[in-house]
Amino acid sequence: MFVYAIRQWWIRYGVTTGISIVVLLGAWSFRQSNGRILYELYSQISKPFEVPQAKEKDLIDARTRELSVKLEEQRQENARLRQLIGESPKNIGEPKFAPIIGRSANHWWQSLVIGRGSADGVTRGDAVVAPGGLIGRVASASAHASRVLLVSDPSSRVGVTVTRSRAAGVMRGVGSTTTIIEFFEKLPDVKTGDAITTSNFSQRFPAGVPIGTVTSVDLSASPAPQVEVELFVPLADLEWVSVHSHEDKPLSPQSELNSEVEILLDDE
Amino acid sequence: MRWSKLSRKLTNGSVTLASIVLCLLLLPARFPGMELLGVAPNWLLIWVVSWSINRGFWQAALAGWAIGFLQDGMSEQIPTRALSLLIVGVLTASLKKQKYVQEDFISVSLIVFAMSAISETVVALQFCWYTWRPGSGLTFMHFDEVWSYYQDVTLASALLSSLWAPVLYYPLNYWWRRMRLLEMNSTT
Repeated sequence: MFVYAIRQWWIRYGVTTGISIVVLLGAWSFRQSNGRILYELYSQISKPFEVPQAKEKDLIDARTRELSVKLEEQRQENARLRQLIGESPKNIGEPKFAPIIGRSANHWWQSLVIGRGSADGVTRGDAVVAPGGLIGRVASASAHASRVLLVSDPSSRVGVTVTRSRAAGVMRGVGSTTTIIEFFEKLPDVKTGDAITTSNFSQRFPAGVPIGTVTSVDLSASPAPQVEVELFVPLADLEWVSVHSHEDKPLSPQSELNSEVEILLDDE
Repeated sequence: MRWSKLSRKLTNGSVTLASIVLCLLLLPARFPGMELLGVAPNWLLIWVVSWSINRGFWQAALAGWAIGFLQDGMSEQIPTRALSLLIVGVLTASLKKQKYVQEDFISVSLIVFAMSAISETVVALQFCWYTWRPGSGLTFMHFDEVWSYYQDVTLASALLSSLWAPVLYYPLNYWWRRMRLLEMNSTT
């Protein structure tokens, strides 16, 4: 009787159940792959609409000239610093230029889609920089496209310092062009107009990359003093960015989101 | 034109799948006139509403859940969109459409507007949950930041989605209705 009932059920709903399971499994594997297939398709489709390659060459040329001038200066400064503290500064890595081909697929998250992927040497965790300073890091990469999580995203955490006073804190996004820094000290030396760069303690971003300027200070905020920062980079009007691979970045997948905070706290 | 049952099902399935892929491709794209405060129409939500409007509870729930997973794949995965889209699918399917709502331009836009607002509310609550839950190792925005962002995003996304809803709803619904008619003709 029971077997008969099951058979009847199976005859009626078997196919539907099978299709439902296949659909859900398919959707779930798409989720686990970070939409890799779709971003590949998207990068192929958007290729004809990309900003012409000549622009990339111009950018690289300009960048090369800038670097060659800076290099000599840096080399001398490095030699002097190395003598003083006996430590070699972290380097920012070779830039790879990438066009922006898309924006966030979900408006609660602030991200960009860039037209270079693992085939071009972009890997997860790379720092992404635009004229003006840091904009984010690569969150996932397929062969020819990658998704960049912006510093303005609520889940983004960047260890930063105030250039003037070296006060250290953690910057997080709140979904707009301003971000918020929470400081470790109770009374940090910070005031409106101060420039903010990435911290020397940061394991995920190269040190000393400019980020923005302080626009307002709230020292009585709880649990930690807060300041608002306006980003240097106009995120809405960007067309090209450069991706910097950063050698020493211990990115464990489990503590992905907040590991920056832990690393910073360990260093304090 | 008489199609065999199998080929008709396959065609219907591939058109449905193609419409989902099209929506997914539209998500990261920003065309002029499709953007308000940096927010674009939520194409997947429009798709879920279009799908659920003439379907039963389970089909709507399944579609919402699966499409939510797809959207997770396109962006960060926590908090998941599967919950909000599942709720949208179920609510749309259970609306008493014969009684109160006609299937026209205005009603579909209105449904999409309401569903968009509901789905953003669910996501905002999910964000609050992650903020409030202690020891989760994840902190996002504080409550007041969630609240202020929610206000901006909900209005923009609901407005844009409802305005663009007919673009997706009409062709899809036309196709599904034709398929259903063919099905009925072949069985009688």
